[in-house]
Amino acid sequence: MKHTRTLATAASLAAAALILSGCSGGDAGGDENTLRLWHYEGADSAMGIAWERAIEIFEDETGATVEFEEKSFEQIRSTASQVLNSDEAPDILEYNKGNATAGLLSSEGLLTPLDDVVDEYGWGDLLAPSLQTTARYDENGIMGSGSWFGVPNYGEFVQVYYNKDAFAAAGLEVPTTFAEFEDVLQAFVDQGVTPLATSAAEYPLGQLWYQLALTEADRQFVNDYQLYENPVDWEGDEIGYATETVKDWVDAGYISTDASGLKAEDAGVSFISGDAPIFYSGSWWYGRFTNEITDFEWGTFLFPEAELSPGSAGNMWVVPERAKNKELAYEFIDITMRPEIQALLGNNGGVPVAADEADITDEKSQELIANFNALNDMDGISFYPDWPTPTFYDELNAGLQELVNGTKSPAEVQQQLGEQYQSGVDDIVG
Amino acid sequence: MTAIARELDPERRDVDVSTDASTARRPGRDLRGPGRSPRRSGYAKRTPGDWVVLVVAVLLGFFIAVPFLLILVNSFKSPADYNTSGPLTLPTEFYVDGIVAFWERVDFPEKLWNSVFISGLVAVFAVLISMLNAFALGIGRVKGRLWIVVVILLANMLPQEVLLYPLYFMFKQVGLYDSQWAVIIIFTVIQSAFGTYLLASVYSTFPKELLEAASLDGASRWQILWRVVYPISRPTLSVLLIFFFIWTWNEFLIPLTFLVSNGTQTVPVAITVLQGDRLMDVTTTSASALLGLIPTLVFFLIFQRTLTRGITAGAVK
Repeated sequence: MKHTRTLATAASLAAAALILSGCSGGDAGGDENTLRLWHYEGADSAMGIAWERAIEIFEDETGATVEFEEKSFEQIRSTASQVLNSDEAPDILEYNKGNATAGLLSSEGLLTPLDDVVDEYGWGDLLAPSLQTTARYDENGIMGSGSWFGVPNYGEFVQVYYNKDAFAAAGLEVPTTFAEFEDVLQAFVDQGVTPLATSAAEYPLGQLWYQLALTEADRQFVNDYQLYENPVDWEGDEIGYATETVKDWVDAGYISTDASGLKAEDAGVSFISGDAPIFYSGSWWYGRFTNEITDFEWGTFLFPEAELSPGSAGNMWVVPERAKNKELAYEFIDITMRPEIQALLGNNGGVPVAADEADITDEKSQELIANFNALNDMDGISFYPDWPTPTFYDELNAGLQELVNGTKSPAEVQQQLGEQYQSGVDDIVG
Repeated sequence: MTAIARELDPERRDVDVSTDASTARRPGRDLRGPGRSPRRSGYAKRTPGDWVVLVVAVLLGFFIAVPFLLILVNSFKSPADYNTSGPLTLPTEFYVDGIVAFWERVDFPEKLWNSVFISGLVAVFAVLISMLNAFALGIGRVKGRLWIVVVILLANMLPQEVLLYPLYFMFKQVGLYDSQWAVIIIFTVIQSAFGTYLLASVYSTFPKELLEAASLDGASRWQILWRVVYPISRPTLSVLLIFFFIWTWNEFLIPLTFLVSNGTQTVPVAITVLQGDRLMDVTTTSASALLGLIPTLVFFLIFQRTLTRGITAGAVK
C-alpha cells in the first residue's frame, strides 16, 4: 500500500500546514502610533535611500513607528483600487500620477483631498506649476486643476545622453543648436556609426517624436495636447515637423530601421555597451548608467534649442481616504520635502523637486539637476506624448513603427494618429 | 509547465520499462510482439521513419526548452556582462549576486513556504472535492449531470479578470481579503471544476461489474468510494494532484489581488517586485524566474516517479 501512503503523506503535510499557519491573514493594524507606508522604489535607488532616511527622521521626531512594505509597481498599479477601498489600506503610499491612476481613484473618492494640508505646510510654494499639474485632479479625475490629491517628491525629464569618449574621438562638441545637433548626427553617420539609440516598440522614439514637435511648439500647444483645452491640429506645423523629421532621420541613417522592433531596454543597452553614442531618453536611466557604464565617460544635455521637453513630476505620495493615521502621513510627506532629504535624493542620482543646487555635492548629479532646474525655470516640463488617452501609448508606437519601416508615409501616420487621438479624447471629454 | 510535463512523461515511462523487471503486466508491451526483450527491440528496429520522428521530437523539445535555457544563462550573468554581450551568449563568469539579491530582497524562503502552503492545500482539497463530485456525477449518475458539469465548468471557462471583482467584494464581506484562505478557497473551486469534469467522464466508464460485486458484498456507498473507486482511480487522482499544484503555483492575478501584505505573498507575486515603472533588470529578473521555476520542477520530478509506478500498479487486472 505504498501509494496510499504517498497521498496520505500529502494529506498529512497539508494538515500540518494548516496547524502551523494558524490564522495567517494580515493584521490590518490601526495602532495610533504606527504609520503604514508603502512604496515601490528599490532600496538602493535614489528614492529608496532618501526615503529610508526620511523614515529614520520621522521615527526620531514623532516617536511613532513606521511599518514599511516594499510593494511591486505592478501590484500597486493593478490592485490599488481594491486595496484602498478596504481596511487593508495603508496610511500613505507612493502612487502613479495620471488620469487613469490617481485621477481615477480621486474621482472614486478613495484619496484624501490635500488642499488644506498643502496650504498649511506650504508644499505648493516648493513645486513649480508644471509639477503641480499631476498632483491636482478635478471631479472627473482629469489632471491640471481642482484639488490636490498627491504630493510629488521627485521629478523626471527627458534629455540627451552622450558618450563623451566617442564625441572626443570624432572631434565633436556638445551641440547647442538644432542644426549643430544634426551635424553631429551626420558626422557619426559619415563614420559608419548609427548615432541614435532608440526604440519604436516602446517609449523612446515616441518621446523623441514629441520632443521634435515641442521644438516648434509653445505652452498652449502642450495645454491643448495634454489638457484638451483646444483641438490639436494633427496636420499642423508642430506635429508635421516631428513626423517629417523622424522620417528624414531614418532616411539619413541617424536612426536605424531596426529600431522598429527594439525595446527601450535594447536601446539603453546599446548606449551602455558603447555601440550608439547618443541616447535620447529619461532621467530614470541616470542611476543605471552611473552604475553600469564603466569603460567610457558620458554626459547629458537638454535637447538643443528646446524650451519644452517631455517630463513631469514623478510618482507621488497619496493618502488613502480610509487611512487611519492621516496626520502622521502628512508629517511624513513634509519630512520628505525637506532640503536634507531632497539633497540626499539628488546626490544619489534622483531628480529632487525642491532641492537647492548648492546642496548637491555629487558632480554628475549637479549636471542632471541643473538640467532639470533649467527646464523648470523655463516652465518647460511638457509631460509625455502617450498621456492624453489610455490607448495612445500603443497607438503611437505602432504608428512610429510603420513610419520607421517605411510602410506608411508621414502624412498617413499623422492622419491615423490624429484620428486615434481624437477618438480617445472624445471618450474622456465626452 | 504542461509542456514540460508532456515532454518528460513519455521519457519517464520509457526508463521504467527498461529498468522494471516485472513489466509483464503492461499492456504496452504486447504491441511489441512476443519473444523480444523491450530493450533490444528499441535499438535494432529503428526505421528511418523513427529517426525522423526522433529528430522532430528533439527539435521540438529544444524549442520548448529555449526560454528556460535563456533564463538559466542570464541568471548567472552580471549586468555588465549582459550589457556588453547581450542575452544570447554564455556568461563569462559565474555570477550569483542577482540570485542572492533577489533572495534577500523578497525574503524568498517565506514566499516559497507561502507558495507551497497554498498550492499544496489547493491540490489536496481540489482532488478530494473533484473525487466526491465525480463519484456523484460519474458513478451515481445524478439526473441532469451534463448541466451540472457545464455549470461547474463555468468556473474554468470564465476569464479570471471577470471573476476578480465579484470575488473581491465577497471575500471582503466575510473578512478574508488579504488572507491566504481566500486564495486557497478560490483555487480549490476553480481547480476542482476541471477535476470534476475530467474525473466524471473517467468514472462514467468505471467497470460496472466491480461496483455490482462490491454492493453484493454489502458495501455501503461510502465504502464503495474508498475501498473500490479510490484505489483504482488513484493514478488519475495523483496526476490531478500534480497539475493542481503546478497550476496553482503559477497563478498570478488572483494571488496578486488577494495577498496584499508582503508576508502572505507567493513566489510569482514576489517576482514582480523587480519590474519598475520604466526599467527592468534582466539579469535579476532571470534569476528570480529561475528561483521561481525550480520548486515546481523539483516537485514534478519527485512525484512523477511515484506516479508512473502508481499508474501500472493500480490498474484493473
